[in-house]
Amino acid sequence: MTLKKTFVRDGEPVDVSVSLDAERRARARVGTQAYDVEYQALPGGGVRLVVDGVACDAFLATRGQRLQVRLAGTTYELEIARGRGAAAAAGSGVVEAPMTGTVLDVMVAVGDAVAAEQHVAVLSAMKMEHKLVAGVAGVVREVRCQAGDLVDQGQVLVRVEPTPRE
Amino acid sequence: MSPPPFRRVLVANRGEIAVRIARGLRELGIEPVGICSDPDRTATHTLAFPRMIAIGGQTALESYLDIDKVIDAAKRASADAIHPGYGFLSENPAFARAVRDAGLTFIGPTPEAMEILGSKGTAKDAAVAAGVPVVPGSNRDQGDDAMLAREADAVGFPLLIKAVAGGGGKGMRSVRSKEDFAGALATARREAKAAFGDDRVLLERFVHPARHVEIQVIADDHGDVVSLHERECSVQRRHQKVIEEAPSPVVDASLRQRMGEAATALARRVGYRNAGTVEFLVDDNLDFYFLEVNTRLQVEHPVTELVTGVDLVHLQVHCAAGGRLRDLLGGRDLEPRGHAIEVRIYAEAPANGYLPAAGRLQLVREASGPGVRVDSGVRTGDEVTVFYDPMLAKLIVHAPTRAEACARMAQALRDSVYLGIETNVDFLRRVVDDEGFRAGDLRIDFLDRKPELAAGPADAPPDLALVAALLAPLGVAAAPGAGGSRPASTTALWQSVEGLRLWEAAR
Repeated sequence: MTLKKTFVRDGEPVDVSVSLDAERRARARVGTQAYDVEYQALPGGGVRLVVDGVACDAFLATRGQRLQVRLAGTTYELEIARGRGAAAAAGSGVVEAPMTGTVLDVMVAVGDAVAAEQHVAVLSAMKMEHKLVAGVAGVVREVRCQAGDLVDQGQVLVRVEPTPRE
Repeated sequence: MSPPPFRRVLVANRGEIAVRIARGLRELGIEPVGICSDPDRTATHTLAFPRMIAIGGQTALESYLDIDKVIDAAKRASADAIHPGYGFLSENPAFARAVRDAGLTFIGPTPEAMEILGSKGTAKDAAVAAGVPVVPGSNRDQGDDAMLAREADAVGFPLLIKAVAGGGGKGMRSVRSKEDFAGALATARREAKAAFGDDRVLLERFVHPARHVEIQVIADDHGDVVSLHERECSVQRRHQKVIEEAPSPVVDASLRQRMGEAATALARRVGYRNAGTVEFLVDDNLDFYFLEVNTRLQVEHPVTELVTGVDLVHLQVHCAAGGRLRDLLGGRDLEPRGHAIEVRIYAEAPANGYLPAAGRLQLVREASGPGVRVDSGVRTGDEVTVFYDPMLAKLIVHAPTRAEACARMAQALRDSVYLGIETNVDFLRRVVDDEGFRAGDLRIDFLDRKPELAAGPADAPPDLALVAALLAPLGVAAAPGAGGSRPASTTALWQSVEGLRLWEAAR
């Protein structure tokens, strides 16, 4: 069995594949680098990885297009590439709630033209206001929330169709 | 063995402190009764109680801050007393009075003492009367801005404008020079009015750079007050403590004794009862100045427990029941032993202005080992909501020396796993590993001066982290008892594995 995923690292896509060739043994490829990895499940979740005789424990959580991996006592935020290539990882027309909270205000309506970095909504969470901006210039195609809505982290609030580049 | 001081006690709180108080009560043979709001019906603190009373409501205001609901719950449970924990109603004299009027015992100070100490103005007056050094300043605000501007000249710049009714940094402004005074005063008044319904302010000379050092006191109903020494709480973000320790790296036996005497003198002056904390600023000359009194059990009480060997919740309960400190502490050596450090694990993003985070905790693994204590209010699967404080747990270590305690804390933080939402765990480890922190070179602006600690390293994830992302769910699937198939969601996977294990263990 081979597992594959493309991540975005330093703005560049990185292909990762892991081939399981025997019980608890895997051959991993990250870009052009290859690794032999032994792995073993940890009770209660997580996995122990052994590379070149050195063991470290890893734990994982999924948050939509993002993953949190805790490896050897440090947490890394990983981004899964959307579609193909690094271009998809740049500015996005999708405005998501960065955290769970209440929508205080929506400043745009369907059909509005918006500039990149323009404020489109205000989210309130833990008594703090958070201004949400469009990632790209374009036209608002969808508004999926209204003032007063309680929204979850990662929930899509506004969708902007990017203006085609010249 | 003497009989328990109470039969049943209602714990009017949630999260880690509700769990910690419930444990202390059970150790004394007292039945704890818990309360929960609607979003908290399955929260971890509910598991600490043999009996829960659902009081309804979503927000804190509709639940844990609703005096009538809490008193009603205590009556329904036939409780003899209420422990308020910290936050919520713990420092509300109206609540303490309502508890008393309902014929129940409030495990805390009298409402009268809370009123005197709850206002920065009257608290400062009491401190002066008790001979406790205070920061030079002015406490004569009658709403006359021109008069205050003249007072400001007399106090000298830089100075602090503080809301008389204030706390938590609201209504507080630092003013560098005379020209900035009028604008800062207007802002402070507006904030104070909005936050506390009282726009009066007081002026204080800005003692800078300073440390925040506080003294834990405990008082019985018979006039006896004992100091349980200091905690250093200088590592703060947005005026909130993040790391606390005991003893302070700069407090020696002589200063400890003088600060302890000042704190107990103030407590005696106001007829204080039960546990309380007297906060001081300590400047670089090691002169100390009274700041305020917290009339409750503090978040950071465990560091005092570890170095003095007392259980503060036990002491609170015994004192509330009329016990005498002479009997409770008589003959015990209360001198601090070793060094204890506590960190507050928050659901927040230090790199993003400590913005609170909410969401589901997909995986929690607490640190453990010799000298490691975790006071926790969460477990795997818990939803962290926007309704309450984002503190998840407190990690506390105890070791013979400060250096060993720092090393122990750094390792315990590496061993801690709180995944699914952003937390400050790695930030805390960077702070504990910081050279300045290790040297004990702490001031209340410590974190402001080192923004790189909050920002974190810009390192891209190593290759192994990417490999781990693919193997971690697989590893769980390959675990014994989990079967061979791979469910689509790793979250569901963890739940099913855990459930299965528990089920098999039960069989």
